[in-house]
Amino acid sequence: MRKAFLIVFLSALVVSLSFAVTTVTISGWPGNPDEEAAIKAAVDEFNSTHKDIQVEWEPIPGNYLETLKTRISAGTAPDIFYVDVYFFEELARKNVLLPLDLYIKRDNFDLSTYFEPLVEAFRFNNRIYGIAKDFSTLALFYNKEIFDKYNVPYPTSNDTWFDFLDKALQLKRKGFETPLVLAADFNRVIPFILGASGKLVDDQLNTALDTPASRFGLKFYIDMVTKYKVAVEPQEVGAGWIGEALGKEKVAMAMTGPWTIGFLRGSYPDVYKKIGVVEMPSLIKKVTMVYTVAWSINRNTSKKAEAWEVLKYLVTRGQEIFVEGAGVLASRKDIAAKDTDPIKVPFYKGAEYAYPWRVPTPTGIFSVANDQINSRLKDLFYGKITLDEALKQIKGNYLDWVSGK
Amino acid sequence: MKRKTREAIAGYLFALPIIITVITFTIYPIFAAFYYSFTDYNPLNAQNLETKFNPQEALELHLGVFQSEVSSVDEIIDSFDLLSFIKYDVGVNLDKTKEKIVLESFDVKKLLKDFVDGKLNKEVKVSSFMAKYLKKGEKYFKKYIPNFLGPYNFKKMLGDQYFKISLFNTFFYTIVVVPVQTFLALVLAVAANAKMKGVKFFKLTFFIPSITSSAAISMIFWMIYSKPGILNRLLGYFGFEPIAWLENPNTALPAVMLMNIWTTAGYFMITFLAGLQDIPRSIYEAAQIDGATPGKIFWKIILPLLRPQILFVATMGTIGCMQVFDQIYFLIKNMRNITISFYIYKNAFEYGNMGYASALSLVLFAIILALTLIQKKFIKESY
Repeated sequence: MRKAFLIVFLSALVVSLSFAVTTVTISGWPGNPDEEAAIKAAVDEFNSTHKDIQVEWEPIPGNYLETLKTRISAGTAPDIFYVDVYFFEELARKNVLLPLDLYIKRDNFDLSTYFEPLVEAFRFNNRIYGIAKDFSTLALFYNKEIFDKYNVPYPTSNDTWFDFLDKALQLKRKGFETPLVLAADFNRVIPFILGASGKLVDDQLNTALDTPASRFGLKFYIDMVTKYKVAVEPQEVGAGWIGEALGKEKVAMAMTGPWTIGFLRGSYPDVYKKIGVVEMPSLIKKVTMVYTVAWSINRNTSKKAEAWEVLKYLVTRGQEIFVEGAGVLASRKDIAAKDTDPIKVPFYKGAEYAYPWRVPTPTGIFSVANDQINSRLKDLFYGKITLDEALKQIKGNYLDWVSGK
Repeated sequence: MKRKTREAIAGYLFALPIIITVITFTIYPIFAAFYYSFTDYNPLNAQNLETKFNPQEALELHLGVFQSEVSSVDEIIDSFDLLSFIKYDVGVNLDKTKEKIVLESFDVKKLLKDFVDGKLNKEVKVSSFMAKYLKKGEKYFKKYIPNFLGPYNFKKMLGDQYFKISLFNTFFYTIVVVPVQTFLALVLAVAANAKMKGVKFFKLTFFIPSITSSAAISMIFWMIYSKPGILNRLLGYFGFEPIAWLENPNTALPAVMLMNIWTTAGYFMITFLAGLQDIPRSIYEAAQIDGATPGKIFWKIILPLLRPQILFVATMGTIGCMQVFDQIYFLIKNMRNITISFYIYKNAFEYGNMGYASALSLVLFAIILALTLIQKKFIKESY
């Protein structure tokens, strides 16, 4: 009896070893249902075409970066995960991401098929630590029905800031109280700072927000809320975020990214039909933000070669599935060329002059400064401090905030 | 063995699971926090030296040539840059002292020779790699030891604006919430102790908020407090302008306080109810015979006899309020209204300053300890 057991056990062991399958865990934040379905479709396709490697998608809900950092420090992080360009440098600097150059060279993987700013976004110390899975830029959404009703001309891609403000003021004068929705988020102010020919940081990587041009852009953004009173925060109209304010038709205009398209299509299909999208208003030069997320490999994984195989798939064929299903923008030029959805045009156009959401600092850490600046933006929205006070506080403490101590 | 010893061993064996749990999850973390508060512990460094890598691949990456293309050390020694190799290709996080050790005692010749001989093509741990090629000082690369900073973290608090803001908010929160909720709980308890119809229903109603998850309550209050929410609509009937209660930095904290009072009053009511039922009926009857009014009974009999419960509720309430986190985490989107425990969380998990977060939590611990001692002094226990 015992012998029979042993034989069964041993043969089972042999069988399982000869068909050894490596499981690669990939992770990110869960997206909307469309995105989830698209990524599952990509994973399923990979699993059905590969016998030796199986992929498992394990999204991290809630506070992604906090959870990821905790798992990295415990040595239990997934093999491949999303890295937002916003916190990319902090992770790369701490050597928790695997440099991909050797694999790229070995396989002759062609990086030039990707939009250059997106490749550069994940380069640090001359090494590539991730490949952009997709990207988003900001554009101006507007609700045609509201503009028609109040007889105000639609925004256009060539509008200056003042045309844009004028249209908002017209709506307000004619009785539409909340023409525009704005967030007290520093990254949303950056197009205005750079659009006024301002700078975020100087050559020593100290803040340059107090230089005249930057100050002008910052002031314009805040004036829309406090002085002209044409803009409100999403919470003011009972919405959780900008897209929801647009979906509830509480506002006529919003500057937001392509993720709002999918959201509106899914949650407010009637409103979606009334929405038009144009490029961001400009002043001296056209500027928008580009947000991008890469697939990166965990440096501590024991399955580096398999992980690279999976990553390669995710940013090529996987991306194709993702772009089709989730309505995101492709980081690969050839996939982007196939994407002819007219509503996406302003976003792809934006990619030509977009600034990546990554503020260079001496340590790679910007999160403290970001919180501090956002908190002051909020105060400015509520008139608790003046712009000069805010800038003085930012200038006085900035180097501390980015010191990472 | 003596019976007594045997009994003791058996007793400890039974208690062993909980003893181990308490030591690992409570006592050890307390001491660890004390230690970490004097360091610059960053969780992202924790696995740094544990990481496995393939030295041959790291060198290929560094040199830009494959091992098979190299035949002698001289070909590659010029394009080899030690610091950048260790820092980025091996991936060791170096500070100034470690940089010096690497520059002084790393055996480059041996490494390059092993590379040319093809001896490096297998995964090794970073720590054992460093031990193999460092002539001395390898103890610094055994495992992650955070730098000892002395009292730096505590000094830093003095200049930290958000430390002051969050500490002030916490005190403000506690000073308002604790007396109000204690008093409210007491009133509720007296009401619930009355002999009347439907009292069970009221007990249940008062108690339900405290057993509901704070996330659910926060979501409901988020809706109540939102600009088109029910509170603004009610106030609208009296001619008030609607306010976004949680977004406005002036009203956010009071709004959360109100919610917290409502949630916890019912919980502490139970404590008072237990105390009330301990008071013998005969005392009330004697007082009534002497002609005491209900008000007099409340102030002269109930209140003094509930002293131990009041101390308990005030202490627990203070500790709870000083540590308030979840409601703030869910509802406050504004750095101006954060409390100290939320600031600790932010430092530890968002900013990666585990050391500073530990120091902050030690300060919070000291404050709570002091407050509790003061309370004990003012309200004497009467057992």
